[in-house]
Amino acid sequence: MKYSYFPGCNLKTNSVGFEETAIAVSKKLNAELVEMPEWNCCGTIHTQTTDNLMKRIAPVRNLARAAEHVKNLENSSKEVIHKQVVTLCSMCNSTLKIVNAEVKEDTDKLEPINWQLEYDNLEYKGDMEVKHFLEILRDDIGYETIMESVEKPLKGMRIASYYGCMLLHPEIAKIDDQEAPTVMESIVQALGAEVIDWPFFKFCCGSYHIVGEEDLVNIQVHTLIDAAKKRNANSIIVACPLCRYNLEHEQIELIKNGKMKNSLPIFYFTQLMALALGIKPMKLYHFEEHLVNPKPFLKELGLIGRKKSK
Amino acid sequence: MSKTKSETKQSAEPEKVRIYIMGSRYDVPTGLTIMKAMEYAGFKITRGAGCRAGFCGACSTVYRKAGDFRIYAALACQTPVEDGMVLTQLPFVPAPKPKYKIDDLRPSANSILRYYPEVARCLSCNACTRVCPQEINVMNYIQDCLHGKLAKAAEESFDCVQCGLCTIRCPAEIPQYHVAMLARRLHGKYNIPTPKYLEIRVKELEDGKYEEGFQELMTIDKKKLKERYTTRDFMDQKKGGGDE
Amino acid sequence: MPFEYIKMDKEALKFIDTIEEISGSNVYLCYDCGKCSSGCAFVYKMDLTVNQVISYIKTGQKEKVLSANSPWVCSSCLTCTVRCPREVDIAAVMEAVREYTLRNEPERLKRIELTDEMKKNLPNIALVGSYRKKSEL
Repeated sequence: MKYSYFPGCNLKTNSVGFEETAIAVSKKLNAELVEMPEWNCCGTIHTQTTDNLMKRIAPVRNLARAAEHVKNLENSSKEVIHKQVVTLCSMCNSTLKIVNAEVKEDTDKLEPINWQLEYDNLEYKGDMEVKHFLEILRDDIGYETIMESVEKPLKGMRIASYYGCMLLHPEIAKIDDQEAPTVMESIVQALGAEVIDWPFFKFCCGSYHIVGEEDLVNIQVHTLIDAAKKRNANSIIVACPLCRYNLEHEQIELIKNGKMKNSLPIFYFTQLMALALGIKPMKLYHFEEHLVNPKPFLKELGLIGRKKSK
Repeated sequence: MSKTKSETKQSAEPEKVRIYIMGSRYDVPTGLTIMKAMEYAGFKITRGAGCRAGFCGACSTVYRKAGDFRIYAALACQTPVEDGMVLTQLPFVPAPKPKYKIDDLRPSANSILRYYPEVARCLSCNACTRVCPQEINVMNYIQDCLHGKLAKAAEESFDCVQCGLCTIRCPAEIPQYHVAMLARRLHGKYNIPTPKYLEIRVKELEDGKYEEGFQELMTIDKKKLKERYTTRDFMDQKKGGGDE
Repeated sequence: MPFEYIKMDKEALKFIDTIEEISGSNVYLCYDCGKCSSGCAFVYKMDLTVNQVISYIKTGQKEKVLSANSPWVCSSCLTCTVRCPREVDIAAVMEAVREYTLRNEPERLKRIELTDEMKKNLPNIALVGSYRKKSEL
């Protein structure tokens, strides 16, 4: 099975580990993510205005390009490809999903956007579906398959799953129940780690306020990390490059200001999956991108490092 | 050259087209480029003209055609006039040009966003690609810059003549051609190996090998300079300095 | 307790209409339960709570709404929208107030200054996001 996959800007710049581990995991689980040959920035945050079509061009262009890609994939691989585009970044996921739902419902909006795409011989017919990789893992692959392919259970990890706002909001873009999601927790469980139940799974980290209003993010992250520590978590998993950056960057600031003593390592869920599925080499994980270095933590648990694994 | 051409055409009663330059009507012979048509009409172009061969990018122009709502853009020295054209000449495109030290940067998306944060405002509307007279896929290279694919951006933007038409049309106010320049510089500096001959030539320059030749050119009078320019020989590379 | 008369003049009605038009949401549905404010992750930084903003819009008190920092503190996490029992798209109303300000006075757009550390590592979606939310485009 192959999927058309939309990476998003950040997975190419400073979250390369997220993408590379995800692709490795997808290959191992026989649900390969194939990157679209041409794509553009989706706009990150969906506009909530009703009258601004300009901001909707970028996501629709991506959907049209994804539709082309699915067609090409089908021709080249001779198998049935779902009319889906898979995302990894939770912000891209929500933006694409919302706009997709909007233009499917309202052709008056789709038409002028298609005029803009005319020049590039693109047209979006409203026939695509947007899926997050977590949904693929849950619906198409299943937790059992993941559990069976685990080679190295993540013993000793107590993981708090941080969904962030964009995986669950709004109604049309949610990947799971909005007030009691279970996808990430189930995966954590399948990987053999301990699930930490905490109420802050979608407490906003401050998002784009990191630019210009860092103090807002600082307070949010302080609350989040404190809550996770109180519930005895020793790491947090995320599905968003911006959440990861905010959580790590502000932890360092908090330690610098003496408000916190030690930091929690932040992982992408795909990194931990790759780790449990025994995917090598370590180069794929790009742990050097993390501002809070997770290597000592993983070494302590015997999850990386040559001595204990062999 | 151009004078004799227009004279011969006039004597043979050439076909004329009607164009509108800055709102006023003119009848000009067919087959003229926009720039020549404007000069035929009596305009003296002091700014916004350069090589007249489609290389320098100084003569960017916007125009509309009769019965068409679209705004077209082109280089005035390369585009022939059409009947019913409404046009003008753009003397200059204002665009910010921050100063940076290429040695202090890394070849990454953030190096570009640091000096041109507006790249993040790109709406993917593709207006820039549509106006580009060099047929560069401008939106794609801006997106590549945003994704940190500098090699792709540098390659895509290589034919850019810096006319600035993309910058005029951009709703996100990105100075695309300066961004492309930075991308090419970063790519050239960090991603591709420095060619040996360049190193040799730079060293020669630093050692002052051509200093004499330059000094000579600076001091000789205008007449002699003109003479040397017209009789210069591109093929005569071995002597060096002749065509500088 | 001092009180003030609310003047529902033409300007006020026009303001309400514009906000409703931009957000595509009917603010009159709101019955001031305050669920939005209590769930908001940033309410402690706002000078008007979320439901206060909504009720000031309902009563057409343009000056109060536009001078509040609440819409600018909002990070569009949509928790309020999701939880509203009356299905008012509150985050969209906040966005509409931002847009209203930016469309009328584009100079509100701040030049973004980044620290050196951020310049190296800041995810570009943070920049894209803040431009999309805080600029008039």
